Amino acid sequence: MLDSRVARPTVRTVPVLDVGHLLRRLDWLMLGAVGALLAYGLWLLNGITRNDVPGDPTYYIRHQVVYAVVGVVGLVLAVFVNPDVYRRRRGVIYITLIGSLLLVLAGGVSARGSQRWISLGSFRFQPSEFGKLLLVLCLAAFLADRGKRIAEARTTVAAIGIAAIPTALVFLQPDVGSALVYVAVLGSVLFVAGTRWLHLGILLVAAAVIGTVVLWAAPAAGVDILKPYQVQRLTSFTNPSQDPSGATYNVTQSQIAVGSGRTTGRGESGSTQTNFDYLPEHATDFVFASLAEQRGFVGASILLLLYLLVVWRALNTIAVARDLFSAIVAGGIAIGLLFQIVVNVGMTIGMAPVTGIPLPFVSAGGSSLIMNLIAIGILQAIHARGRGPLRNPARLW
Amino acid sequence: MASTSYRSKPRTFLPGDPRVEEPYRLTPQLAFRIGILGAFALAAFALLFLRLWALQVLSGEDYLRAARDNQLRQVRVEAARGQIVDRRGRVLVDNRTVTSIRIWPSNLPEKGRYAEMKHLAHVLAVPLTDVLAKLKQQKLDPLTPITIKNNVSPNVVTFLSERQTDFPGVKIEETQVRRYPYGDLASQTLGNVGEATEQQLKKLKGYHLGDRIGQRGVESAFDHYLRGSDGLAQARFDSAGHPRSDLQITQAAMPGDTVRLTLDAKLQQAAEEAIRYGEHLAEKNNNWFSRGGAAVAIDPRNGDVLALASQPGFSPGAFVNPNLHKQLSRLLSPNPSVAEHDNYPMVNRAIAGLYPPGSTFKPVTALAAMEQGILSPYSTIDCPASWSVPLKDAKTGKTVTGGTFNNWNGTASGPLTLPQALEQSCDTYFYQLGWDFYNAPGSPLQEWAGRWGFGRPTGIDIGGEYSGLLPTPAWRKQTYSAAIDKLWKPGDSVQLAIGQKDLTVTPLQMARFYAMIANGGKLIRPHLLDQVEEPGTRRTGPLVLRRYSAPPPVDSRIDPSMLAAVQTGLYEATHGSTGTASAVFSTFPTTISGKTGTAQKFVQGLGLLDQSWFCGYGPSSNGQVASIALCVVIENGGFGAEAAAPAALKIFREYFHEQGGDATSRALD
Repeated sequence: MLDSRVARPTVRTVPVLDVGHLLRRLDWLMLGAVGALLAYGLWLLNGITRNDVPGDPTYYIRHQVVYAVVGVVGLVLAVFVNPDVYRRRRGVIYITLIGSLLLVLAGGVSARGSQRWISLGSFRFQPSEFGKLLLVLCLAAFLADRGKRIAEARTTVAAIGIAAIPTALVFLQPDVGSALVYVAVLGSVLFVAGTRWLHLGILLVAAAVIGTVVLWAAPAAGVDILKPYQVQRLTSFTNPSQDPSGATYNVTQSQIAVGSGRTTGRGESGSTQTNFDYLPEHATDFVFASLAEQRGFVGASILLLLYLLVVWRALNTIAVARDLFSAIVAGGIAIGLLFQIVVNVGMTIGMAPVTGIPLPFVSAGGSSLIMNLIAIGILQAIHARGRGPLRNPARLW
Repeated sequence: MASTSYRSKPRTFLPGDPRVEEPYRLTPQLAFRIGILGAFALAAFALLFLRLWALQVLSGEDYLRAARDNQLRQVRVEAARGQIVDRRGRVLVDNRTVTSIRIWPSNLPEKGRYAEMKHLAHVLAVPLTDVLAKLKQQKLDPLTPITIKNNVSPNVVTFLSERQTDFPGVKIEETQVRRYPYGDLASQTLGNVGEATEQQLKKLKGYHLGDRIGQRGVESAFDHYLRGSDGLAQARFDSAGHPRSDLQITQAAMPGDTVRLTLDAKLQQAAEEAIRYGEHLAEKNNNWFSRGGAAVAIDPRNGDVLALASQPGFSPGAFVNPNLHKQLSRLLSPNPSVAEHDNYPMVNRAIAGLYPPGSTFKPVTALAAMEQGILSPYSTIDCPASWSVPLKDAKTGKTVTGGTFNNWNGTASGPLTLPQALEQSCDTYFYQLGWDFYNAPGSPLQEWAGRWGFGRPTGIDIGGEYSGLLPTPAWRKQTYSAAIDKLWKPGDSVQLAIGQKDLTVTPLQMARFYAMIANGGKLIRPHLLDQVEEPGTRRTGPLVLRRYSAPPPVDSRIDPSMLAAVQTGLYEATHGSTGTASAVFSTFPTTISGKTGTAQKFVQGLGLLDQSWFCGYGPSSNGQVASIALCVVIENGGFGAEAAAPAALKIFREYFHEQGGDATSRALD
């Protein structure tokens, strides 16, 4: 430590932000896509929620705009933070993650039978949403530091251990959807970090076995690891007509909403599934079904194409990352985003189980929106510091 | 040197990380893995697009229909019930509009529902348990309104409409209820309308909970004509079941058809008054327990029931008028002593009252005896003051005296022909016929009586008819347990011959038999339905939809000469010098033939009481076709000639629009 103090120049120039350089190095295609998503999402949500609060058509959208502004500020700030800070502060991040999740369990606000929120004044925030990002950062930091020993089984086991604790805490809320996202995040960071195929294969088989036990073998044996309604939700998408008013009500109504939108949609006033509340949770988890009802195949396709663009640019960010940590973070964010999009959309059209996963950038709710925008900010920070198509990479630092 | 470039470029963004020893490179392995992720993302999005295409573009129309069905719910609209009119088109029952209070269960609040219902029940003065029971019954169908009370007073309407916010889900609506322009007239025959009971819903198809359905009588028997078909209305409902739009009629309700009865309202009125007059006469003759009776008038030519009267009656308005709630609860009281105290006003005695027929049965015995070949009408049989059963002693072979039976007036009249025996109503004459029947193989008297409609329902087209009892040796054996009771004894046959002991008949069966005598031996089926019609304009008149088609009358194949002998006897009974009803009918312009009857019936707590009967028909002079057959019974009314015959005269007067006859005379039986 003494050496380094001596090595440091006595006249230390404070690094000055080269804003023009930074702006040039941002992934403008991704930013454009996210901006379009944000605007399009707000417009869609406005149409969907205008009848939800009697006498106050802008209730949801007012709040959502505020969250979007906060999120954009978060995005901009994240761009200026060197991602390496996260790597170095991984302990703090991990403690924050676990602490906030414990706080939820200890004294959180519950709604609809699950305890997911912490109340901060008038703002309720959902640690499990931010946890998705925090977990990516922690795991990436751990794996990046073990870059040389990534092929060792103990590295993989340790990474699983790190992810297991927050996953378990989220699972206890209970928030099965977020827990699934955590598992997906774990898989993606291991994948990008370079874990051996053999280990990945074993993990996949293990996941399949656990899934079978939890969803089928244990209930059959009379042990309920998940509550029966959760099992029903997770499995009923395979056979939605078995009980249209019970466990599969959501799925049935959601598919009716999506299908009834046809090519060009039923518009804001004609969307009876949404306006008459046949479609539950149409501002949050089932927002895709509502927008598909109001805007039709065309409107839904525009949204999906924007998502595809963002995911593509996120995957590209892995390739341009300047170091392993950044690459892993980009991979975790990209796959986390993809997973949420696919499972959420799949759920509304009967291809995936019903879990409480919000649709990124569109679902009403501050935590998810702000978290996703910050994640985009981190991707941009990685991109800006990465090996871009520049002649002189040295100009970066 | 990195540090040099670091220092030489002061305008750098952020310092690099000194711990990164070597420049990080994108390894081919990672590039491959990114490629896999990209392929995975593309595949996932492709799947989503394909599924969306399938849902929205390929089968979008189906889902659109499903979405529309989701929000449009159908509500039934009750059809106006058809009228009931008499044979001349006089309205017996129609509808009037009243204000009713209904609740829409889907609009009731979740919290405070009980308190609201309690308050409502209090305001409407209906039992809270009833309201809650109805709500519970319709738990699975919260979209169909439940009628809590019909015909509420204007005060209540004002009260509720001023406090609509206190009573969410409670609606004030117009409903139609039955109106009875003739009041109590033919109350048991017409029946009433009420909400379908659970048993009815189980048994009948096409009825829904809360449907009003004919209960008893004509309302019940012809419910399928009267009810019409309910209409359908649509309203938009959200997922919580709250209506979001006004009701729109999608299928208009078809009002029920008019049912035209064979009844004649005027004659029915006369019949009911006649019964009360008979009771009045009976009381004047010190028959204190007379209270009630029945009268049946049918057209012997075609079975049209012209009057079907039973007293005491009830006010059918009690079923629709909340002010008569007490009356209604007495009528529907499950406590039998209440009905007994009121003398069973709901029982239609004309078809369900069981009485021994007494002497009015003698024509049956006479005809059967002639058909059986044991009686020749114009040879004489002695009419002593009393007659004993001539039993043969099994050991000695000598004749010994069995039970002794007296003539009704205790006097002897010498040898009589059949018409004379009917004229005087000589009991001992008929005892001897009964003895002959006892000695004949089988039970010929019962067989003949059964052929002429006794012991079985007449098949009248409203429900609630009783069969009566035609006692036979087999019946005795089946019914009784003691050996002595199981045995069919001579006394059974002897008393059956004069319509006494175990035999019971309904007034309708009796009237039908006298119609058979009047029409030359054809057994008709009595019916109340004349035609079903659709109300038309004044100019076009009603459109007949269905006319009652009587089954061909059963020809009883009675030898005309035998029938003529009985007809003569019945003519003499009302016109002969010793005729039991001559004092009443001999001066009536239209010729009436008939027979009185005084039947002893054991009445619980009062002992044996005389049931006063008269059965007859007219016009009955030569060459005329009888157009009315009539039977009147006055319960516990004493001698037939003293109560029932004058009452019957009143009905004949109305029917023939003639005065005359003597309704005040005290004739003999």
